Amino acid sequence: MQAGMERTTGEKMVLNFGPQHPATHGTLRIVLELDGETVLKATPHAGYLHTGFEKLGEHLDYNQYIVVTDRMNYLSPLSNNFGYVLAVEQLLGIEVPKRCQYIRILMAELSRLADHLLWLGTAALDLGAFSVFLYSFREREKLYSIFEKTTGARLTTSYTRVGGVFRDLYDGFETDVRDFITNLPKALKETHTLLTRNRIWMDRTKGVGAISPEEAINYGLTGPCLRATGVSHDIRKAEPYSSYNEMKFEVPVGTNGDVYDRYLVRMEEMIQSCRIVEQALDNLPDGPFSVEDNKIMLPHKSDAYGHIEGLIHHFKIVMDGHGVQPPLGDHYCATESPNGELGFYIVSDGSGTAYRIRIRPPSFFHFQALPHMLEGGMVSDTVAVLGSLNVIAGELDR
Amino acid sequence: MGLDFGHRAEPTDGNILTTTIDKVVNWGRRNSLWPMPFGTACCAIEMMATLASKYDLSRFGSEAIRFSPRQSDLLIVSGRISIKMMPVLKRIYDQMPDPKWVISMGACASCGGVFDTYTLIQGVDQFLPVDVYIPGCPPRPEDLIDAVMQVQRQIDKGALPKGSEVA
Amino acid sequence: MNEEKELTEETQPLVLKRLREKFPDALLADAEVSNGISIVVNKENSYAFLEYLKTELAYTLLVDITAVDNSNLESELLQYDYARFMVVYQLYTFEGETQRIRVKVPVHEKDLKVPSVTSLWKGANWLERETYDMFGIDFEGHPDLCRILMPDDFEGHPLRKDYPLRGRGERERFNFDKQNA
Repeated sequence: MQAGMERTTGEKMVLNFGPQHPATHGTLRIVLELDGETVLKATPHAGYLHTGFEKLGEHLDYNQYIVVTDRMNYLSPLSNNFGYVLAVEQLLGIEVPKRCQYIRILMAELSRLADHLLWLGTAALDLGAFSVFLYSFREREKLYSIFEKTTGARLTTSYTRVGGVFRDLYDGFETDVRDFITNLPKALKETHTLLTRNRIWMDRTKGVGAISPEEAINYGLTGPCLRATGVSHDIRKAEPYSSYNEMKFEVPVGTNGDVYDRYLVRMEEMIQSCRIVEQALDNLPDGPFSVEDNKIMLPHKSDAYGHIEGLIHHFKIVMDGHGVQPPLGDHYCATESPNGELGFYIVSDGSGTAYRIRIRPPSFFHFQALPHMLEGGMVSDTVAVLGSLNVIAGELDR
Repeated sequence: MGLDFGHRAEPTDGNILTTTIDKVVNWGRRNSLWPMPFGTACCAIEMMATLASKYDLSRFGSEAIRFSPRQSDLLIVSGRISIKMMPVLKRIYDQMPDPKWVISMGACASCGGVFDTYTLIQGVDQFLPVDVYIPGCPPRPEDLIDAVMQVQRQIDKGALPKGSEVA
Repeated sequence: MNEEKELTEETQPLVLKRLREKFPDALLADAEVSNGISIVVNKENSYAFLEYLKTELAYTLLVDITAVDNSNLESELLQYDYARFMVVYQLYTFEGETQRIRVKVPVHEKDLKVPSVTSLWKGANWLERETYDMFGIDFEGHPDLCRILMPDDFEGHPLRKDYPLRGRGERERFNFDKQNA
């Protein structure tokens, strides 16, 4: 009889993991069936943060709903704002000015950086690398101050409006952002020295939680988790929205689809995002930052206070049933959020409130595929795999 | 160092200080509040920012984050609480040893915030005794630090947490 | 941009042509939308239709399954024989020109059964559970059709139009004891 064979007793133990557990980043819950240290069966449970976003969409008007999208994926609210207003604009059939498209791309890419940085910090923290957490938060705080100066809030930005953004970039934005993107690669290099060739990090992530490209597509994975398996799919490239067709960037892909590859893909995506930000800054066009249509965008405050037309336009947009009113119909619009495909399916009945808003969250699919990645592995890998997927509860449960 | 000795006996050789036992205990409690972070949504991200490098909650003696309710005496409810989550939160609160304080961080935990929907608890104070509320959606890290200091001040005054008054 | 064009023989996408040939009776309506095509299929043929899309036409990525409660949307009700619900599938292909297809299946309130597509896509499992949870659509052949977002003992289906936004008092009275059984 070989030693080691005796480690498993054949008796099952059920381990309840979450919803309150340091590694669940919020409110995820997994019920694990263990045989010794081996995971036999994993059952993820969702819904602990169900907030009723979709129902709320049927009661708020199109611009009010932007506030709600902030709170969905709270790591990168600007991406959500962007995806949502893009869907409404496509439903309306309007296109925003070039400058606005560039501003949105800038903010979306910066929030992708913010999202990946936080992911990096917490995923490393889960595996015991505390210093990475502090390093990535140091960089994130710089982003927070840029967001705050631009939008007025650190986290819940509500920056976009249907038809534009609510104000232009501040003076000195360019200096701040250029300063940030020149320093970020240096900071990432620090992380690379801490993790990428670190024996412990490699042992705990390589070959752990692997998924094949076919399985990943079957489960509906998108974003970095799909690209880590080797599928080069990025909505910014496949169906370029806004002005992404004018940006040059690479889509990093992995090979094994394991935790380590997801880490490398995200690290490289940050560098690519820096490239996009740089290009957007270089080519930032002048002009209006929102559509000049008084039926869609609120007039400037001075106009609303100083002129009767401005006041009437303001009144008409703000009053219930007079604001943005897309024609009867439905539309699905997908954008590449930091986590993957973020889709908004909006059904309009022609009134100022959506008839139905459906949000297609990337995290929902990632969390669903978790058992496939866990079963047969070790119980301690659960934390590594869960951390690598970056499941955001707000987006998962909506 | 923040120790305020009310009763000072005859000065001997300068090495002995006397005070009441309550004051020493409260001094200790105040400077080592161990938070149990119940972070569910956006506020949890700001709570993490408070703990991280720039804001550094450890300056106030609260850096020892305990994810076990058995080892903590300050519950920070940060985020939206749904009807599916509330029993979990209640169970965690019940497991914490006395005395225990509760901070309700952000609009959602305090009153439901912008989410007046079928599934969301409109304020955790319906089910838990809350000591300090923080407004904001989400509150800034400074606000959370201020709330921790408020709890410290309450302890300083010798006030009992709300939970013990109810019980 | 979202205006639905009438399609003639020449302008219709190849995919649509093949679908029309393959399922002459099943297609209730079809239209080209800004980023793909939108098709309404009857319930009896929905499974075969989706299977054909996946296996023959390479729509391998199931993007989304959801439903819409059309009870307040007169135009849709009239068009589809007063079917209250519309189950909506979004598909994506990595190859070909028409990248996105939206398949809609009208469902009457009297008969909420719709064939499950979990055997085609593993990702459909939770999506169908969510649609069941929110609308009460009964996906036939689903391995474990139970609530996912709401607690197990919850009554009603929140995204139906007759369910009030603020609920029916669930958030004040709910079961404290059944947790973590």
